[in-house]
Amino acid sequence: MSVTIIVLIAITLILVLMYNSLVAKKNQVENIFASVDTVLKKRYDLIPNLVASVSKYMEHEKSLLEEVTKLRAEATKPDISDAHKIALDAKISSALGSIMVAVENYPELKANENVMHLQHTLHEVEEQISAARRAYNQSVTDYNNAIEMLPTSFMASLMNYRRKQVFEIALSERKNIDVKELFN
Amino acid sequence: MKSVSFLTDFYYKNLFPTLEKLESDRKSLRHKIIFIAITYTAIFAVIAYTLGNFYEFIILAYIALGAIIYRFLVHDYTHEFKMSVIKPLIHAIDSSLLYSSATHISEYLFEHSKLFSDLDKMSGNDYVKGQIDGINIQFSDIHAQKKNQNSKGKDTWSTIFQGLFIVADFNKHFNGETVVLPDTAQSTFGDVIGHWLQANNASRDELVKMDDPEFEKEFVVYSTDQIEARYILSHSLMKKLLDFKHKSKQSVYISFIGTHIYMAISYDKDLFEPSIFHSLLDYKVAMEYVKTLHLAIGVVEELKLNQKLWSKV
Repeated sequence: MSVTIIVLIAITLILVLMYNSLVAKKNQVENIFASVDTVLKKRYDLIPNLVASVSKYMEHEKSLLEEVTKLRAEATKPDISDAHKIALDAKISSALGSIMVAVENYPELKANENVMHLQHTLHEVEEQISAARRAYNQSVTDYNNAIEMLPTSFMASLMNYRRKQVFEIALSERKNIDVKELFN
Repeated sequence: MKSVSFLTDFYYKNLFPTLEKLESDRKSLRHKIIFIAITYTAIFAVIAYTLGNFYEFIILAYIALGAIIYRFLVHDYTHEFKMSVIKPLIHAIDSSLLYSSATHISEYLFEHSKLFSDLDKMSGNDYVKGQIDGINIQFSDIHAQKKNQNSKGKDTWSTIFQGLFIVADFNKHFNGETVVLPDTAQSTFGDVIGHWLQANNASRDELVKMDDPEFEKEFVVYSTDQIEARYILSHSLMKKLLDFKHKSKQSVYISFIGTHIYMAISYDKDLFEPSIFHSLLDYKVAMEYVKTLHLAIGVVEELKLNQKLWSKV
């Protein structure tokens, strides 16, 4: 009799611990995503300013600027899903990258103090975004591991937890700067 | 920053007259020490023989008194060496650096670094302070100890940390506290158990898993803020810290608190002390002084602390 009770208590305890650890992992992901969102917003706020300062000079890149503005409008809409936000972020990153490369072709722009300041701020925000993304990816990996690995996978499927998507980190961000390339 | 080979040249060329003089001092000092040691030992042997008892007490007195006499004997030579060799070497690297042979990094900074806990006693010497490329840096030799009580109720002292302790301005602005320690748990107990132990370390903040496998293998990171830890430890800084660790060939402890980076590089001996039983002109002896100084002062350049980011004004 007493043995049955002990076994029952032990099983309940294990189940509670498993449940709690899954919930904690899910909340960690949400928590970090909120921070990612904050830094992404910081970057969205810079975009109109950037577009306004460079559009006077950039005749040939009009479509690029329009695209960034459009993407920003879409990303700042309320009620878009996390997965959609992640996809938009990747597009904005690459579009902004192209604009920054294009700036190099305009000596007037490169020397413009306002543009220089924007470039630095953008660079700083990019660093913060990169850190937030890496933190998010790690928390998602922990979460995904928990819902796919034994023994928590059974409980996760009962709780209807699904795999979450990670941010794709652009290859260029991971590469170290090749000094030789700079001089070529 | 001057290179190691420049400093080695400086050591052998510019300091040569001083070294020659010190070298003759060293030889006579060595003879004196050997002579006194033999007489001293003989006296104690005679005392022990005549008393025929209290051996424990006699051995204790022998060691304690011997240490005091030794320190007294080498005192002048040590001072002379530091002022005429270590100081010029530091000034050869950067003439604006200040050097003090007797003081050390303040206890406040050591405790503020959050790298080591339970500090009860701290000593040290060879304090260097100044600016390299506009970055404030200070370092010194440190010996930090804590008090333990053994089963008999006697106090014993154990070393928490001995080695080089460096404090410098950091080029990013942050609010939380991030601590990077050598990864002992994972290398001793394997990945699974080691990781579990690290994640449940009650005396530290949250465990931060880094996305650089090589870095993760050498270090363990704890922080109050998961995102900020990654903001500080960018991919490039992780790589630089790994390089630094490999270059120093010692255990390295790093923390980022307030506006500073704290680094503790553990050596199992007092640094920048003159050698008494090896020649000062010995290449190995010379290289040790030069390399250690170069490593400490080179931190600013090595970790690119002088590249200020826009946010930090």
